[in-house]
Amino acid sequence: MQKIGNARIGLAILLAVLALLPLVSSRTLLATLIQIFIVAVYAMSYDLLLGYTGIVSFGHALFFGTGAYAVAILSAKTDRPELIFAGVLVGVVIAAAVSVVIGMLSLRVRAVYFSMITLAFAELFFIIAEKWNGVTGGNDGMSFSIPEWMRDRTVLYYTALVFLVVMYLFLRRVADSPLGRTLQAIRENENRAASLGYDVLRFKVVSIVISGVVASLAGAMFGIFQRFVNTSVLSLDKTVEALLATIIGGTGTLIGPVVGAGVIRFAQDALSDLATVHPIFERWLILFGIVYIVIVMFFPKGIVGTLRDKWTGGRKGGVRHAADGSERNPDVL
Amino acid sequence: MSLTLNLLLNGAALGMLIFLLAAGLSLIFGLMGVLNFAHGAIFIWGAYTGWTVYGWTGSFGLGLLAGAAAGWLLGWLLERWFVRPFYGDHIAQILLTLGLMIVLTELLKAVWGPNLQNFDKPALLQGAVTILHDPFPVYKLFLIGVGTVLAIAVHLLLTRTRYGIIIRAGVQDPVMVQALGINVRRVFSAVFAFGAALAALGGVLFGPSFGSLFPELGMQNQLLAFIVVVIGGIGSFLGAFAGSLLIGLAQTLMGYYWPEAALAVNVALMALVLILKPEGLFGARR
Repeated sequence: MQKIGNARIGLAILLAVLALLPLVSSRTLLATLIQIFIVAVYAMSYDLLLGYTGIVSFGHALFFGTGAYAVAILSAKTDRPELIFAGVLVGVVIAAAVSVVIGMLSLRVRAVYFSMITLAFAELFFIIAEKWNGVTGGNDGMSFSIPEWMRDRTVLYYTALVFLVVMYLFLRRVADSPLGRTLQAIRENENRAASLGYDVLRFKVVSIVISGVVASLAGAMFGIFQRFVNTSVLSLDKTVEALLATIIGGTGTLIGPVVGAGVIRFAQDALSDLATVHPIFERWLILFGIVYIVIVMFFPKGIVGTLRDKWTGGRKGGVRHAADGSERNPDVL
Repeated sequence: MSLTLNLLLNGAALGMLIFLLAAGLSLIFGLMGVLNFAHGAIFIWGAYTGWTVYGWTGSFGLGLLAGAAAGWLLGWLLERWFVRPFYGDHIAQILLTLGLMIVLTELLKAVWGPNLQNFDKPALLQGAVTILHDPFPVYKLFLIGVGTVLAIAVHLLLTRTRYGIIIRAGVQDPVMVQALGINVRRVFSAVFAFGAALAALGGVLFGPSFGSLFPELGMQNQLLAFIVVVIGGIGSFLGAFAGSLLIGLAQTLMGYYWPEAALAVNVALMALVLILKPEGLFGARR
């Protein structure tokens, strides 16, 4: 347990460094960090589904994109930048409503349906955003303005940092609450949780709603930071971003996706610099994909989970379990 | 020829293509509980391989064979090295196959480039025949023919042969089949490779019908195949066939009247089935 205490101290030091950073660092680094913070929150919301509830969504971009578009549309269509805060709320409401619908539709059947159906709905929203030019700006996307006082890079940086810390504490609270414990019980053995009297469907829907709402907040932050949205916020690539960060960082840890988001972003920048050396580095997604596959196969707990096991000898997190509780006989299959 | 008949034939042709993709997906899921998210990648790899071989040799038949062979090989590799170690762990399988989808799509871009490639119809199948005083493309009729023949062949294979019985029994209860002294693992590998070959064949056939190829087509068609599998019922061959025709028709009709809403209608159909009959139109009640 001594090591965990050390990790806490390490985190506190890191946080202090991040808080003081704007005083000394370059503007580019600040912009990079803002993006990392936002992706980190988005990936953490994904971890609540994958790592804590044990369900795989392939449509998480839907919620992220909803948040971004809600802010953009409200600000651009009314020409009143202060309405972005109303946009955040609208995004949250839509995200919650869509989560309930998707959850109710797909969770009554086998777990894998959820993966297919989330993918289908995300693709549907993506196409709507592309075709509905009048509202979304279609393929070209849309720029919008935000209130004057928010345009300062340092203000945005602190906002994003506070956002990350608050969301981490909130999700940590959820994960350690009786609700979170129940979700983990569902992940480990759904049939058992059901026979103990837990309404598994309801718990799963609640988890999808919380996850969707947090993802839409991250999307709203992203929109505010970029002051521009296009359909890429709803694309499958955006979902893959959360998936990569969560898997590489470590599922079921919450801090893992944060680490994953940072690692991926800095690796991406390094690879982009290498692209001038050799064109293979332009296809950086191949490399990330291969790393992702290796991690799923050999280190199912990701960076954070694997390190944590090394230090504590414990067993927390990880993706290995039968999703629908159908443990097949390993001697046969 | 009336507009209705034209749309029906077009819908049937598209349905056959989706069916080739959905059949393997559904069989593999029914048999092994593996939802293969890389199925669309196999489809598009098959399409590009077939296109290349067709370009080299000038023979569309050889292109079809090469595409199917590439699909078979990819399916075998996937099952052997990535799926087999994770039987019973659905989450790892889904995560892995999606990762493979990403890597295979990127590799495809590295080999053939990310841009459109024109895929012309073979000379034999160009042109049109007259049906009820109106021209109709020969190639689409060819698709309907090939799709029907393949569907009947696979159906007979599943219902009339020893292998088919083993496969269907394996869907019901793999442990029992194993206990009867049949090597279920080998059956699984064969079905996986076979389903992949069907998907790849669908890819090669899809090319001339669509007129061109680009890497994202794999994911787009996979999505339609998923919708088909949900509508038809997982593991049901008949369901995959009926669902494919339904989606093909819906897609074609909407494409004519209101193209933007084509996917919306398919997703709505899927939602409707999930509300009314969650196990799918032909799926077994669990």
